[in-house]
Amino acid sequence: MRMNSEPPPDSAVVDRRYRGLRSPWLQVAISTLSVAIAELFMKRGADATAHVAEEWGWTGLTTLASPLVWVGMLLTFISFITWLYAIKHLPLSVAFPASQAVHVLVPISSWLVLGELISPLRWCGIALVLAGLALVARPVAQLEEKL
Amino acid sequence: MSPLVLMLILVSLATFVAGQLLLKRAMDSTVRRGFRQRTFAFFILTGTGAMAVSYFLNLGLLQQLDLSYLYPFQGLTLIFISAAAALLLREKLTPPLIVGSLLITVGVVLVSLS
Repeated sequence: MRMNSEPPPDSAVVDRRYRGLRSPWLQVAISTLSVAIAELFMKRGADATAHVAEEWGWTGLTTLASPLVWVGMLLTFISFITWLYAIKHLPLSVAFPASQAVHVLVPISSWLVLGELISPLRWCGIALVLAGLALVARPVAQLEEKL
Repeated sequence: MSPLVLMLILVSLATFVAGQLLLKRAMDSTVRRGFRQRTFAFFILTGTGAMAVSYFLNLGLLQQLDLSYLYPFQGLTLIFISAAAALLLREKLTPPLIVGSLLITVGVVLVSLS
């Protein structure tokens, strides 16, 4: 029974209305994955157009000549919409650290897909990010257990 | 790294942080009042504008630097965003959240140094 204790929007994560696709955590995950995949398309596209009108290259606008960049932009748009949904229901100081999983996904996918190397120091950094993510996610997991 | 590249990275970071705060304000305003109101329109436009500037600067930087080298610089935004969320949006930073965020930041900086 719910009396005067209507939870603030921030606690939406423990609310049953936010299960499944409506979960802001799922939306954070979709948003973060989209960003990581978009970055790969962007890098391929940016490489392909690096020598088009070099004097304007610093604006980034010359990359629009590559279709790969447009695919990247579509994925970025998806990540933007899902992110807006997520921050409507989660505090920025929780959602944003969670989205930093992208810093694990991008180097690993750059390694797997683009052939960029990962040094031992970089692997240590990736491990620290994972540990931080576990800590950030922990209070939320505890909240959900209480239900 | 040339001074110009460093400056472009910093401007890209600053506009990103500002954009996130503006977007959060925009979405907060929809919780009780929906989407058809001026507060939402103002913050979603300024927020999207700031994100767009950051986005194209990032694309320009990608032409000159390796993706896995450039991208982790954005990890520094976590410190700024958490601090700004606590100070300006009055969000509560719990100890696990602070420690976790610091670990992530150190991890991302390590990734960017190597």
